[in-house]
Amino acid sequence: MTKTTPFGLKVLIYVLLLAGAIVMMFPFVWMLSTSFKTLGAVAQMPPQLIPNPFSFDNYAEVWNKVEFGRYTFNSFFIVTFEMVGSLLSCAFVAFGLAMYKFKLRGLIYAFMLATLLIPGQITMIPTYFIWKEFNVLNTYVPLIAPSFFAGAFGIFLLHQYIKSLPKELYESAVIDGCSPPGIFFRIYLPLCKPALAALGIFTFMGAWNNTLGPLIYLQDRSMYTLPLGLLYLKNESSINQAVIMAGAVITTTPVVIVYLIAQKQFVQGIASTGLKG
Amino acid sequence: MHKQGYWGYIFTLPFLINILVFIVFPVGFSAYISFTRWDLFNPPEWVGLRNWIRVMEGREFWIGMRNVSVFALIFVPVQTLLAFGVAFLLNQAIKGKALWRLFYFLPVITPWLAGGVVWYWMFNYQYGVINWLLGGVGLSPIKWVDSPNWLVVVSSIALVNVWKGLGQSMIILLAGMQNVPKEVLESSQIDGATGWKQLTKIVFPIVTPMVFLVMILSTIAAFHAFDVFLALFGSITAGIPERNVVPNLIIYRDAFLLFKMGPASAAAWLLFVIVLIITLFQKYFEKRWVHYD
Repeated sequence: MTKTTPFGLKVLIYVLLLAGAIVMMFPFVWMLSTSFKTLGAVAQMPPQLIPNPFSFDNYAEVWNKVEFGRYTFNSFFIVTFEMVGSLLSCAFVAFGLAMYKFKLRGLIYAFMLATLLIPGQITMIPTYFIWKEFNVLNTYVPLIAPSFFAGAFGIFLLHQYIKSLPKELYESAVIDGCSPPGIFFRIYLPLCKPALAALGIFTFMGAWNNTLGPLIYLQDRSMYTLPLGLLYLKNESSINQAVIMAGAVITTTPVVIVYLIAQKQFVQGIASTGLKG
Repeated sequence: MHKQGYWGYIFTLPFLINILVFIVFPVGFSAYISFTRWDLFNPPEWVGLRNWIRVMEGREFWIGMRNVSVFALIFVPVQTLLAFGVAFLLNQAIKGKALWRLFYFLPVITPWLAGGVVWYWMFNYQYGVINWLLGGVGLSPIKWVDSPNWLVVVSSIALVNVWKGLGQSMIILLAGMQNVPKEVLESSQIDGATGWKQLTKIVFPIVTPMVFLVMILSTIAAFHAFDVFLALFGSITAGIPERNVVPNLIIYRDAFLLFKMGPASAAAWLLFVIVLIITLFQKYFEKRWVHYD
């Protein structure tokens, strides 16, 4: 709508947006608010919006007693390896697809589409069997290793980007005597930074929020990631809601920070591909 | 494009391995397993169609299908409609667009378990803030996800899913609306088209491909729902009442808690076939309302 939008209509737009935003944000407000409440205040009716007394005990309990400190480390550990694996391998494969002509190229494109359509519940059991045969159940290998074999979504994202770069780059590097791996690592990989940033954020979100993978593969409680830690807390009926909310705040904060830093790439990535990680 | 083809194979090797090990083998093996009795440890034993028959004749899988169908019927239209509305509002000349977008998008990036435990707490019958608000306007409290009525449980979870997924649909629709040429809108205004007419006669037809994409994606996601049910039910080890199950919870339980790989694989394939038929069905009706020019 142009400048001619009447004042009344403008007010209506803001009122509607604000009402929606309050509903969307309320669970976060409630999560934070409850996480600072004492046991007595949690069960108090009417509920308090701003906790009084204001207590940090729930954070201390969840961080030390339920080992959320450890789970935070585990989550970051897995996410870091998945990001390195996914960025390197996807760029590597995308470069090969964009630069060289070879027989199986068409087939690879077909499989890229197929991998996006085949649901996880079908491949889940045989994949579990593979990792069992490798004797790596209850380790991080099943969660980290697949990311080193390039996912279709990441290849697609980087392939589009590499194709948009000028072709003369490759030719001139060949004339300068650079080998194909050299061309990839020294010239193309650094140039892919914007696309890598987008893929990096998607990988971070996907790995950080993954529930099913850790649920299937991790048995020892000391190995848990943050979402598994929360599931465990929720199933312990003896644990106070305020402690669970403190755990939820710890689980949510890192993704929110990463999103705030990189929201532009993230939103553009979703808008252009229609997909999320 | 360069001729040294062998470099192409070297660079794409990781993905070729991925296809063989994590796609071709699992798909084939899973199909085979659906015809066997297998506990993951002893050799699989061929049982023919028994798993398929057991899944199809049993009540549980179809209760699960009923639940995800109702879940999809509530969640997909409500989410698409709200996402369209918010995207339309955000596409107007307003201040603070990035901040508004953040408010609506934050649930998308929130881990399911974190969002789930908060909603579970807000849904609490006695101390939950939602029932307290209902009481404030004179309504009686609702048992939400603990209700003995499956329709209440599934509807409650569908609404949580709308909260979680609205932002993602909104971003896709907003990108579509930004493609609507400004001149078209301005000339229509000169011709006397008001806000509502502009919305239904110009903006909506142009973004129908995006609306279609959003609906297809969210329908597929709805039938594969797992995290949202896990987060709101919590303990699947303790058992979920039959009236509240969904297919992916059944598959997970059969495979990894009961080690019945045969029925789990048969159910996984059955779900895949049903979702495929539904998607093709949506595709068939696409040309009735989606405009690509």
